[in-house]
Amino acid sequence: MDTLKIDRVSVRYHQHTAIRDASFSARAGEIIGFIGADGAGKSSLMHAIAGVGAFDGSIRFHNTLYRSPAEAEPIKSMTALMPQGIGLVLYDMLTVQEHLNFFADIRNINKDASFIAYQQRLLQMAGLEKFTDRRAGNLSGGMMQKLSLICTLLHRPKLLILDEPTTGVDPLSRIELWDILDQIRTQEGTIILVSTAYMQEAARMDRLLLFDEGEIIALGSTEELIDSVRPMTYVLSQQTDGITTRDATYSIKPLDFAHTEPTLEALFFVNALKKGRSLPPITLSTHHEDYVRDSVIMEARGLTKRFDGFIANDCVDIRLKRGEILGLLGANGAGKTTFIKMLLGLHPIDGGELELLGRLIQNTSDRQTLKASIGYVSQHFALYNDMTVRENLLYFAAMRSIPFEKAVDKTLLYATELGFDIYLDELPLNLPLGINQRFSLAAALLHDPVVLFLDEPTSGVDAIARAQFWQLLIALKEKWGISILITTHYMSEAEFCDRIVLLRDGKKVADDTLEELYALHPNAVNFEDIFLEYYR
Amino acid sequence: MNRIFWAIVGKELLAFIRSWQLVLVVLYSFTVNVYISGSGIEMKPRNVAVGYVDDTGGGLSQKILTRLHAPEFLPPQRFGSQKELSRAIFDKEIIVGIVFDADFEKKWRQGQKTQINILLDATAASQAYTTLGYLQNIIFDITSPDIPVEIASHKLFNQNADNHTFMALTELLSIITMITVILTAVVFVREKEQGTWDIMLLMPVDPKLIILAKSFSQVLIVMVGIVISLGFIVMGIFSVPFNGSFVAFALLSFFYVWASAGIGLFIAAVARDIMQVAQLSIVVMMPLIFLSGAWTPIHAMHPVLQTISLVSPLRYYIEGTESIFYRGSGWIDLFPYFTGVIAVGGLMYWIGFRKIGRLF
Amino acid sequence: MKIRVIKAYIYKELTELVRSRFIIMVFLLPSMILLLFGNGIRMEVSGARTLIVDHDRSPISYRLISKFEHSKYFNTQILPISEAEALGRIKQARTDVVIIIPESFEKRLLHGQTTQIGVFADAAFPSRGITMETYVKGVILDAASEFGHNQANGSITINQRTLFNQAMRDEDAIVPGLIGLVLLVAPAILAALLIVKEKERGTIFNFYASPLSKSEFLAAKLIPAFLLHSLNIFVVFLWAVYVFDVPFRGSFFLYWAASEIYLMISISIGMLISVITRTQIVAVVFTIIITIIPGFMYSGIIMPISSMSGMSQIEAHIFPVMYYNHIVYDVFLIGEGLESAKTLRYLLILLFYAIVLLSLGRLFLRKELK
Repeated sequence: MDTLKIDRVSVRYHQHTAIRDASFSARAGEIIGFIGADGAGKSSLMHAIAGVGAFDGSIRFHNTLYRSPAEAEPIKSMTALMPQGIGLVLYDMLTVQEHLNFFADIRNINKDASFIAYQQRLLQMAGLEKFTDRRAGNLSGGMMQKLSLICTLLHRPKLLILDEPTTGVDPLSRIELWDILDQIRTQEGTIILVSTAYMQEAARMDRLLLFDEGEIIALGSTEELIDSVRPMTYVLSQQTDGITTRDATYSIKPLDFAHTEPTLEALFFVNALKKGRSLPPITLSTHHEDYVRDSVIMEARGLTKRFDGFIANDCVDIRLKRGEILGLLGANGAGKTTFIKMLLGLHPIDGGELELLGRLIQNTSDRQTLKASIGYVSQHFALYNDMTVRENLLYFAAMRSIPFEKAVDKTLLYATELGFDIYLDELPLNLPLGINQRFSLAAALLHDPVVLFLDEPTSGVDAIARAQFWQLLIALKEKWGISILITTHYMSEAEFCDRIVLLRDGKKVADDTLEELYALHPNAVNFEDIFLEYYR
Repeated sequence: MNRIFWAIVGKELLAFIRSWQLVLVVLYSFTVNVYISGSGIEMKPRNVAVGYVDDTGGGLSQKILTRLHAPEFLPPQRFGSQKELSRAIFDKEIIVGIVFDADFEKKWRQGQKTQINILLDATAASQAYTTLGYLQNIIFDITSPDIPVEIASHKLFNQNADNHTFMALTELLSIITMITVILTAVVFVREKEQGTWDIMLLMPVDPKLIILAKSFSQVLIVMVGIVISLGFIVMGIFSVPFNGSFVAFALLSFFYVWASAGIGLFIAAVARDIMQVAQLSIVVMMPLIFLSGAWTPIHAMHPVLQTISLVSPLRYYIEGTESIFYRGSGWIDLFPYFTGVIAVGGLMYWIGFRKIGRLF
Repeated sequence: MKIRVIKAYIYKELTELVRSRFIIMVFLLPSMILLLFGNGIRMEVSGARTLIVDHDRSPISYRLISKFEHSKYFNTQILPISEAEALGRIKQARTDVVIIIPESFEKRLLHGQTTQIGVFADAAFPSRGITMETYVKGVILDAASEFGHNQANGSITINQRTLFNQAMRDEDAIVPGLIGLVLLVAPAILAALLIVKEKERGTIFNFYASPLSKSEFLAAKLIPAFLLHSLNIFVVFLWAVYVFDVPFRGSFFLYWAASEIYLMISISIGMLISVITRTQIVAVVFTIIITIIPGFMYSGIIMPISSMSGMSQIEAHIFPVMYYNHIVYDVFLIGEGLESAKTLRYLLILLFYAIVLLSLGRLFLRKELK
């Protein structure tokens, strides 16, 4: 018999329906993946199942049938929810160990020897055993995610609901996380519902639910789902009818090309085609004046940053050339964000030299003149949440002293080119991450910068949006000659970079082109393997 | 340059209006709250409950009692014994008790010294003081009607010594301080919390301009609040007299709100999050308001507090406002108040510019 | 009730309060208000800046002036300036009172002719204006009766006995009232922040998704605030008795018990605000505004409730401050305690308030996303 049964659940906010008539069921020990674009209704359904948000329809877990959060009270001792958002359920002022104690206590767990052992194992798996005395506020984003996750696991829940638990988490930690999940479900027979934007992870689920526009449109095992799109997947071609990505072409009309093996991403593209949506083509106009390719845009020599107690960046040398995409990779807490903030002048430089656009940075006034040539997108897409997308963009344009009419035109142009024109009058908080990401990029591009610093711009963004985002970055590089320094946790994205720099504990451990890195590590199947080599 | 300034101002106003809970709270502070303060408190003795014990059989005692009339006093209540009277005072039903001894009138008629026993509930000190003064005057009046001295007394600037207007005005000034400090601090700290401040620092705009524009937007909000409060409550309902120059008041308010915004900026420079803003604002504002002379005149304070009060811009603002509203002082007499407000405000911005809004 | 869960929350709250240094605020705020107000508010007018313009310069006018000079209520200055100039000084707020003694004051007085003394008091601060005026009149009349005609009848003196506050000290009159104010404002602010903070941060999910009941959550949130401020009950007591030398005549137990009940009320007010607001900042501003003003107005510090009229009288009875302050003034200055039926009644009313407010909080708190 199914342990969990969701029957025609709908969630409405005001007049907008987040999820409509969702039904599915799950057996003990099953891992079910929720995949789909941002805003497709995954989180809303999770909230309904966890009993933290009102819904229509009914849900049964074991013998408890509930139709409202109040009726769900009895199951809450058996469930755990990890909501979306980095460190959302953590208290900045408490240390890691205090979190564990707190969550153990509010779940009334007996702190016997077996619990201590279990807790120790969780800490080890999360790689947090050395940081038990560190306050949550001082942890890196990935460490926060891992801590949030093990906090939800402490009471060995029978139903575990995880909303994008691995967003912003480095590959190493993701592997650890999945090990934890696998163990707990085999040992405890836990049902795990997990949403993710990483398709490699989706492949590990027992079954997948594909969400689109508030509905579950497909349900099945990875193989079943992939089989369903196999007929629409073709080898890379210049076909204009369907959708062409970096590795394949998708079309619902039969094409005269050979089929190729689809990946899970194919689901999204095929679905987009079925719904009659096509990816808005990136139509960047070539407009830049001549520039010298290969001229050095940014050169850091021995850049060092110390925080009290530890060194965040230790003598890092990095060079960024004109028209180059440089990927800055590393585990959580390796010092990527700190490095970018030093480049921008948001953190003081503690040692070493920095040259930007041919100018040695010595004081604030050196910065002032460079501001016009630099674009920056921060980790959290720092946007004003109380203004619409249009207002945000016009505001940033005003800050850049772009004349009003030109700003209006440019806003519209970018909105169409980057495909968020229908969202112009929405507030950022109500929009999917992928849209916010594109529009932060537009904000960073308004003043035609020469160089872009992007700090994890793709974290938590859905597969289609990410694919488009990279098309855009490549177009920017090729058509405008913009140099891009980008950090990411999607190892597959490393493949788009011209050069990769790997940081580990604040030190540079690799700096090479993708080809050479593959050459150095002949056993690696994909970039994730290379990454892991440096960390083992 | 100009456009950037107005863009920031416009953006902040928009953000303010979209946060409806905040708009409501601010509006409440400037209207209902000022109204409640103005209507509730009366410093003059009013409706003072008087009880008496009279064993004399009337005459002189009644003559004295009839002088205790409305609105200052409630009709005196008679008690059978001093014990009953004390009991009523214990229960706060009676504030002033008068006991006429049995031989009170006889002695007086015989030209001897005699006395009236008065029991005061001194927990209501201010009322007790003034009531005592009233009684003294009444007795003088009755016993020596032929003193050839007349006192031509004038209460300047506020003839009726109307306390409502005063309280309403004072409350308005305190609210101006509080709202400005908190709003401004929050505007900056929210950007810090959400990470947008980093983005702003990377804009090719002088951070000073951003700071000034942001402060100005909050100054505007508060100025609108002042106008609403003045128009509808202070002058509309309480009809506070206005003897001075309106321009002077507007200008002084404008400078003062700037100075308070400076204090908010200072708090924002120190605070990490909204929680700390809340703490710091309260810790900074309480002394600011209490040391301003709003509740008790400066020169009646402890000398140490008097010195400390020199750095409170609210002190200058309150004195200046009282002068404008009641005393109708001219520009020259207002000079010290303007100087004080501007000096404190300038200092705050100097610190704010240095602490917040710098790239490395 | 899951005692352990509540204990865990309490420990967590306390740790957060200590680490965020909010704890400083918890103890600083009440003491600060008490010390500032206690030292700052003066109902009695002493040292009023008095300017006497003596046009007569006769022995009698000198005698009158010396009466003022010897009074602690006046800080006298005699200047040979014109009336207009003297009034100008009031306008510049350089003096509070101007007394004008007319020419031939003595001569007229000796001839039994009525003569007029001009008194001008600055009433921009109204209560002070009235008090000063009354004092001045008192001194003048007192002096006048000395050099007036002999009376046929006897003289009457006022034998003034101030109950409860013999010395008529401002501290005794104000500080107990302030206790009612600080124990209202400070706990309310703390409680207001405790829940809304979790809402704004997102940690409220821990509550939503856990088996914790609403009552348990409220208990867990309110007990730390309650415990911390319970200490303040003793702290403010020490300030009052040892720094301000306010006598304490009643039962300490009554003071303590009433204060704890009152604390529950103020914390519940904060909690209610926390439950309905969405952001910390709105919660703080709102709490300050709705506690400080009524806390001060209806405390009886400034005016006795019995003297209020109409709406104010009703509002004062709605707001719990009045009941608590009655008890506090009783235990400090009077000492009747529960022997007075009124005190007992007020204590029960406070208890009633505490229960009602707590239940309202439980009613309004939601355990689901909005």
